[in-house]
Amino acid sequence: MKALLSEKNRIWLGIFVLMAFLISIPFFASDYWITLLTLILIFTVYSSGWNVFSGLTGYTNFGLAWSIGLSGYVSSLLIADYGFFWLFAWPVGAIFTGIVSIGVGYILLRIKGVYFAISMVALTEGTRELFGTKYLKTVTHGGIGVPFVAGIGLSTLYWAILVLAFFTIVICYRISFSKFGLRLLTIREDEQAAETLGIHTTREKIIAFILSAFLVGLAGSIHFTYQNYIDPSFAFNIQLTLTPIVMTLFGGVGTVFGPLIGATLFTFIHEILWAELTLLYMAVFGGILMVLILFFPQGLLGWLKERGILPRSRKI
Amino acid sequence: MANFAELFMRGLMLGSVYALVGMGLTLVWGVVGLVNVAHGEFVMLGAYFAFWAFSLLHLNPLFSVALAIPVFFVAGVLIHRQITERLVKEHELSALILTFGMSILIWNLAQFFWTNTYRSVPYLTGNFTFMGLVLSKGKTVSFVLAMVITAALFLFLKYSSWGKAIRATSQNPEVALVCGIDTMKMRMITYGMGIGLGGAAGAIISLQWVIFPQMGASYISRAFAIVVLGGLGNIHGALAGGLIIGTLEAMVTQYLSAKMAQIIPSVTILIILLVRPTGLFKK
Repeated sequence: MKALLSEKNRIWLGIFVLMAFLISIPFFASDYWITLLTLILIFTVYSSGWNVFSGLTGYTNFGLAWSIGLSGYVSSLLIADYGFFWLFAWPVGAIFTGIVSIGVGYILLRIKGVYFAISMVALTEGTRELFGTKYLKTVTHGGIGVPFVAGIGLSTLYWAILVLAFFTIVICYRISFSKFGLRLLTIREDEQAAETLGIHTTREKIIAFILSAFLVGLAGSIHFTYQNYIDPSFAFNIQLTLTPIVMTLFGGVGTVFGPLIGATLFTFIHEILWAELTLLYMAVFGGILMVLILFFPQGLLGWLKERGILPRSRKI
Repeated sequence: MANFAELFMRGLMLGSVYALVGMGLTLVWGVVGLVNVAHGEFVMLGAYFAFWAFSLLHLNPLFSVALAIPVFFVAGVLIHRQITERLVKEHELSALILTFGMSILIWNLAQFFWTNTYRSVPYLTGNFTFMGLVLSKGKTVSFVLAMVITAALFLFLKYSSWGKAIRATSQNPEVALVCGIDTMKMRMITYGMGIGLGGAAGAIISLQWVIFPQMGASYISRAFAIVVLGGLGNIHGALAGGLIIGTLEAMVTQYLSAKMAQIIPSVTILIILLVRPTGLFKK
């Protein structure tokens, strides 16, 4: 008997039903659940954004908070001081971050390995201190921070981040089997060999870096609009770099859906930990990071692929 | 002019302690091949070690500094044997993320048990005059202690058989292994020495600066700047780098602001990596 739907169509139907369900959530769920889902989606974009650059090229980006904070700052200031409508302020922040990332990537991506990671931390720390100094006070309000009201409802915010997360995953999926994605993987495996094969490694790395900064920046803008507040230590917080890394490690580095799964699972773990073990939250967080690296470096999806439960495909 | 000389001395004294922190980091990085992001946390633990020895056991802080070295050495050896040795053959970024986790784990535990209170060891307060310069007693003693430990380290690495074996392991692990050097043991000893240096630096720091559970972060960022300035694995470079960073910090604090002084490590790292990624000095 012929199946009612081909496998491809069944997957499409599944995605359609899931999206319809997610879109309809604000109509019946409580604010708590909408907030939780909003955070999951924000961190999904952060993690996917980190993964699209670091997971594929092998260059650990320890400056994710830099992209998040920079874009968040630009859009928050536009909303607070210049009365921009949020829908216009967000992309301006993200595009600004993308443009600055061209320069940053061009300069810093020549530095390899651990040094790149350290220089990104240095960039984040330096930018944080710079935004807090009195010299930039007229623009950034200094260290006291910027409280603002964007006039956006929780449901609208949720739908916005849902759309962004959807497109982020679609982009990651497309990249996973594109030639661009393969070129990035070649850089991860052996950069010299990649160069010998005629891959313009610096250019490919910069493109991935900008894409990552843009997506993450957009999510960062939404994040700080949701918080209604921004200040330097909050915007360029190392936690905003570490959490997405842990989430990606959790789900599986270099996979398409790993960041989504990691962000979802880890946000729930975070909720429980934060409620039960507030004072020791960071210790448990650090412990999880260590255990993941030592015993579980391939992540959940990698583990499932290794055992043959999931097909060994780059598309997952 | 006396003011400037005092400022310069203050910078050097600060720098000698930073150099001690930086040397521990660069030693482990160069020989073991691991970036120990948790190094700053061992500095913090060293500081608390001296603090508790002073306030609970009424131990002379100078004695705690000497005691911190063997205690932290053993701790480092154990940590390396149990945890970090597994990562020696892995991608270097695994160690980076793992030690980041370790760093968070340690400072949060310290915060949990010892609270966020700022503490200090009230020992050797006040100033004295030397050749027309007014110097702080505590800082001068720290400077002398840091220099003694540095000199001991240099002599150890240069002349002792372990020191030679460590340098051989650093230069070429395979050849060292073929020559009959137990490189695994040398990595363990080096890791212990790195942590021991960190602990000693922390104990010295507690003599005059305030200590708190999250102090490690500011020391690790300076230590990274020092390693980058001096060149990876270069102990002498780290000493020079530490003195440079300390002097710069004293100057910027004096003439600009304390806030600007905090940007020094990040700016140094970025500039040196772009202009001269091998560090300022020849190995």
